[in-house]
Amino acid sequence: MDSIIFLGLNGYAWITIATIAGIFVIMARTRIRAEVVFLGALTVLLVTGVVTEEEGMAGFGSEPVVVHAAFFVIIAALIHTGVLYWLSKNVLGTPKTQVGAMLRLMIPASVLSAMMNSVNIVALLIDAVKLWAHKLGVAPSKLLLPLSYAAAMGGMCTLLGNSSNLVIAGLYLKQTGETMNVFEPLVPGLILTVIGTAVVILLQRLIPERKSSEHTFETTSDYTVELLVPTDNPAVGCSVEEAGLYNVKGGSLVEIVRFDKEVIMPVPKTEWILGGDRLIYAGQINEILELKRTHGLAAADHHVWSINDIDTNRKMRTAYITFGSDLIGKSMTQCDFEQKNDVVLVAVARQGQRVDGQPREITLQAGDTLLLECPAKGESQLETNNRRSLTFFDSHFVPEIGSKTITSAAILLLMFIFSSFHVMPLMATTMLAAGLMLAFKCCRFDSVVKYIEWDILLILGATVVFSTAITKTGISDALAHNIIDIFGSNPYIILAVMCLIASVVSEFVSDVGAAAIFFPVMYGQAEMLGCNPMPFVMSLMLCVTFSYSSPIGSIQNMLVFGPGSFRFSDFARVGVWLHIVLLVAMLAVVNIMYPMYI
Amino acid sequence: MKTEIQQQSDTVTAILEGRLDTAAAPETEKEIQPLYELTGQTIVFDCSKLEYISSSGLRIFLGVLKNAKPKGSRVSIIGLNPDLKNIFAMTGFNHLFDAVD
Repeated sequence: MDSIIFLGLNGYAWITIATIAGIFVIMARTRIRAEVVFLGALTVLLVTGVVTEEEGMAGFGSEPVVVHAAFFVIIAALIHTGVLYWLSKNVLGTPKTQVGAMLRLMIPASVLSAMMNSVNIVALLIDAVKLWAHKLGVAPSKLLLPLSYAAAMGGMCTLLGNSSNLVIAGLYLKQTGETMNVFEPLVPGLILTVIGTAVVILLQRLIPERKSSEHTFETTSDYTVELLVPTDNPAVGCSVEEAGLYNVKGGSLVEIVRFDKEVIMPVPKTEWILGGDRLIYAGQINEILELKRTHGLAAADHHVWSINDIDTNRKMRTAYITFGSDLIGKSMTQCDFEQKNDVVLVAVARQGQRVDGQPREITLQAGDTLLLECPAKGESQLETNNRRSLTFFDSHFVPEIGSKTITSAAILLLMFIFSSFHVMPLMATTMLAAGLMLAFKCCRFDSVVKYIEWDILLILGATVVFSTAITKTGISDALAHNIIDIFGSNPYIILAVMCLIASVVSEFVSDVGAAAIFFPVMYGQAEMLGCNPMPFVMSLMLCVTFSYSSPIGSIQNMLVFGPGSFRFSDFARVGVWLHIVLLVAMLAVVNIMYPMYI
Repeated sequence: MKTEIQQQSDTVTAILEGRLDTAAAPETEKEIQPLYELTGQTIVFDCSKLEYISSSGLRIFLGVLKNAKPKGSRVSIIGLNPDLKNIFAMTGFNHLFDAVD
């Protein structure tokens, strides 16, 4: 492999390039889970001998992975003991103006994101912000987008905020043997957060006002609802008109799906009703659902013999499909979601639009809002079982505030003090904090494994290995050389060009991925040009989180996408400006703070 | 799909044979048109040789029933195999006709 040279790179390098390119293609074109794709790519690198066994496995024991794992436990404890709940309840208040509301939200969100992982802060505040938006009478989208941006910006301030910060600090440690201080990015991060917050507030008119999807079910007149005719329904054998099921209050019958899947569309008034028919209505959901009561129809995933068999206490709940959900690309009839959870899909809304056809046959997408008929009891069980696939609007999880709330808050503070004064390495500090959370019973011992999001750890671990492969095979050197050849050897220009490329790439790739790919290249350039590597490392750390313009570039954006009923392009309206302003500001601040030559 | 109509005193029997699926339904509907002319008689669908029935097939039975009732005719269905019985039960058809067996 070493002897095969093409365009200056050996066989191993080309295998690495093909593997990384393969990841992007597979992620974009298929629905294979990200961790599977990343581990598959890692396998390719191991089998082909690009990385050794030790290098391949080293990623999983690296600082970013271990710190993240410990953090999952810490966050679980903070949620469990109500610390985060208390914070979200008490920081928001009742501001009088839109600007006031944005500041009231963005400042605490940024501060919290700096202290904990920014993704968790967004996830935690979404529900509180939606309720708050309702109370203030503004569209949730107007506040959810600033929330996502504020979290990503606040996350720049410490190594703990954004995952990519830890990845870069980890790579820096491996490269130089020097540990980065948790607050190393604080000053530039803080300046950029202030500038960014100002930009978002100045441009707040550009943030689109999108109707909240849970309310669209109540107010919009155009949704499709599916109801089943039980065998003993008196309407069996009558025409739809005779049975009073043709033109109903608030809607009309658009389709009948027979027991043998035969579809009658359009439906003539004289069409007869058979037991087991599925009647598809278009119209106002609340009115149509009244038919269950007035005409003995049922929401059901299986055949119903008698309306008396139906539990009338079942209730309607709305939930939206999260990014990476198992339900994406499937319809309810193709999976066992309904049977497993004892729920029935009644209607689907997609960004305020009606989705044509039988709801249970619709291929679901991320961000779709589902109206589900759920069992009367076990609300939180349903949420816990499906937290990777669905997020319910009426979340039932309310933690108790008590002595453990104070204990876990104290542990968190202690962790900060320890890590800021370098009492112990970050890895040890976070693991100690996680251990203390468990020891003081702030979260449950037996379910620790459940708190840890293994897929994220696997992806992080594999990402670190890709960085090793890029360095080892000479790709980073070649790339670094080529860019220097094209743009000359002025380090300021190289730095600007690299940050521009890295930040644009990170709009489409996760910040962690962009960090791992660009770190070896930029570190190499600093060495080649005989410069201080710090401005390169620091500007990369900051700029890979500038993914404000697309919902897929950052997990924070993905999280608010569904609840805010955003469209794909909504993020670019403010995001592009924010990206440009912060990129320019970042280059200026970093260059002032970190001299190019020491 | 084969359809045969036999008359014995005041009972008219339609013998259905084969698969009454969506494709066969229009043809069968034409062949049983004579049943629509009857008044005050007993109409029997003999389904002992019927293998399958689709929803459009069921509609033919319902059509005959709806036409016969006001004219004082009775409609019964005999010889259903277990699968067909199941379909009749599920769709609520066994309560509509005078006798279903």
